[in-house]
Amino acid sequence: MAADRADYLVIGGSAAGMAAAQVIRRQAPSSRVTVLSEEPDMPYFRPMIPYVVTGRKKPEEIGLQGNGPYTAGGIDVRTGSHVDSVDVSRKSVAVKGGGRLSYGRLLLATGSRPYIPPEIQGTDAQGVFALRKLSDAREMARRAGDTNSAVMLGGGLLNLKATFALLERGVKVTLVVQSPEVLSQLMEPGDAGLIRDALDKAGLKIVTGRSAKGIISGKNGVAGVSLDDGSEMACGMVCIGKGVRPNIDFLPGSGITIDKGIVVDKNTACSTPDIFAAGDVAVTFDPVTGKRIMTGLWTNAVEMGRCAGYNMAGKKTAYAGTFGIMNATQVADMPFVSMGIVHTKGSDHEVHVRASGSTYRKVVFSPDGERLVGALFVGDITGAGMYRYVIRGNMNIGRIKPRILDGTLHYGHFLKG
Amino acid sequence: MQEPKEIFVDTSRCTACKTCEIACAVAHSKGGNLYAALMESPAPKRRLYVEWVSPDKHVPVLCRQCEDAPCMHACISGAISRDERSVVVTDTDKCIGCWTCVMVCPFGVIGRHLETHKSYRCDRCPDRETPACVSSCPTKALIYRTAEEFSHGVRRGAASELVSGEGK
Ligand SMILES: Cc1cc2nc3c(=O)[nH]c(=O)nc-3n(C[C@H](O)[C@H](O)[C@H](O)COP(=O)(O)OP(=O)(O)OC[C@H]3O[C@@H](n4cnc5c(N)ncnc54)[C@H](O)[C@@H]3O)c2cc1C
Repeated sequence: MAADRADYLVIGGSAAGMAAAQVIRRQAPSSRVTVLSEEPDMPYFRPMIPYVVTGRKKPEEIGLQGNGPYTAGGIDVRTGSHVDSVDVSRKSVAVKGGGRLSYGRLLLATGSRPYIPPEIQGTDAQGVFALRKLSDAREMARRAGDTNSAVMLGGGLLNLKATFALLERGVKVTLVVQSPEVLSQLMEPGDAGLIRDALDKAGLKIVTGRSAKGIISGKNGVAGVSLDDGSEMACGMVCIGKGVRPNIDFLPGSGITIDKGIVVDKNTACSTPDIFAAGDVAVTFDPVTGKRIMTGLWTNAVEMGRCAGYNMAGKKTAYAGTFGIMNATQVADMPFVSMGIVHTKGSDHEVHVRASGSTYRKVVFSPDGERLVGALFVGDITGAGMYRYVIRGNMNIGRIKPRILDGTLHYGHFLKG
Repeated sequence: MQEPKEIFVDTSRCTACKTCEIACAVAHSKGGNLYAALMESPAPKRRLYVEWVSPDKHVPVLCRQCEDAPCMHACISGAISRDERSVVVTDTDKCIGCWTCVMVCPFGVIGRHLETHKSYRCDRCPDRETPACVSSCPTKALIYRTAEEFSHGVRRGAASELVSGEGK
């Protein structure tokens, strides 16, 4: 068999991997770009899978290729290809089921997978889900047709998205949250009032301050959940949303530096020459705090992937970093944006809150009050991107501070002269 | 290919009369005239905003069609792309109203259509020779030309000054 070689090899065909491949195709049009992806499906917009659960979208309607900026052709995407190991001295990877592929430059974009807390017993029962892949969504859609109640473990954004998909399918949903309030990663309990009201109105039952001990199963899989207070809840399905962990199982022994995720420099390069990493699997940094962080954000994966693509194709490009928190969405009828530093309890940040019956606005400044470091907008998110721009740029806000406080910032304020 | 035309602003000419805002809303109404637009529900939306900068400057703000549009790359549903006119457009069938584009647009010019739960922005009036805002401006503060014609680099200058750090 002829040696299989790609000039640019990408492991992981999702946000980071495909964004990089697009850039490489355009920068180095005559090169061979190959993407290996474990999933059986061609690359798709992962955040769209809740719409497959509801049935509003068919899997083929959320594909990446040909949509948005994903228009470059000539990328060799091989699905169902799991990489078992990387041999950095031979510059090749081993694919499960046999076969090696050698590379000129390699991108590690293997993303992350749901964290299933080992202390919860019985999570391998049929009907226990953690919504991450298109295949999960298909199965959830099927199960939702056969059951009328679900228990969601975890009150994060992902589980809320899954919750709304199930509510739309007519499933009764109970959300069990260990923290005192939902969305604790994105806001403090005191900031979540409007969202909590919207969730309550949407017909969702929420139990806070409780965690699951185990899954109770019967002959059709999940039959209920037992909680740490000794109580039990009957249900036909369970969805676990307890965060994600990077997919790095194929890397130990390779010599590539790992610190929870894959460590990269400011040009997205790994410790080993010709190897780069981007997306959920990579350790990046927060431009405000300078701290090393890992994110679970599509927006970051794309941006970092694009940056890696430029670097791999020879155009040196620094990555600007990202906030660990940078989410926009709408739950029930309540839009919100949370970005940068928004947890301020016990910190010495300068915090300003303005609330009305239908809006909540929290802006967080550095302790000296001179830089904007975070913002949470609920109800009214107008112009949120400008605030993100100010936070990210570590700008000295001086004369625009009053505009930031009252929410009247506009582009004109950035113009010189 | 001919270089696409763009909308430029001469802030020294803007008197904040807001004729452009009205013309924009009317151009994006179903009826297409002021009277019908006033009666429409949901009310037609303007896609540019005349803003005031202290002490005496006015700036019509609208989508800048960024070269590496952050909204397009951030969109989680693949709804935003660049069309054959080189205009960044949102496919409303694909838009799910997650507002990620609103969160990343450094110009703050992407609006939320509450009734339809879709985002919207300047579409450069695809059915017109000249965008409605430009034709309507009584002081010629809005100019529709190619960047070349307008004088090299003005737009690039403004856009890159602002979006630096937003990817390449
Ligand atoms: C339901 C849902 C909603 C979301 N909503 C949002 C949102 O609104 N905003 C936002 O910013 N983010 C959102 N996210 C998060 C976002 O989807 C992820 O951050 C993003 O997909 C990360 O992209 P990635 O390319 O780094 O990795 P992933 O998308 O995780 O993809 C990695 C790919 O690599 C493959 N792979 C892994 N290991 C191997 C191997 N050894 N060999 C070969 N292939 C391998 C995987 O199978 C996978 O296909 C959401 C996620 C979900 C599940």
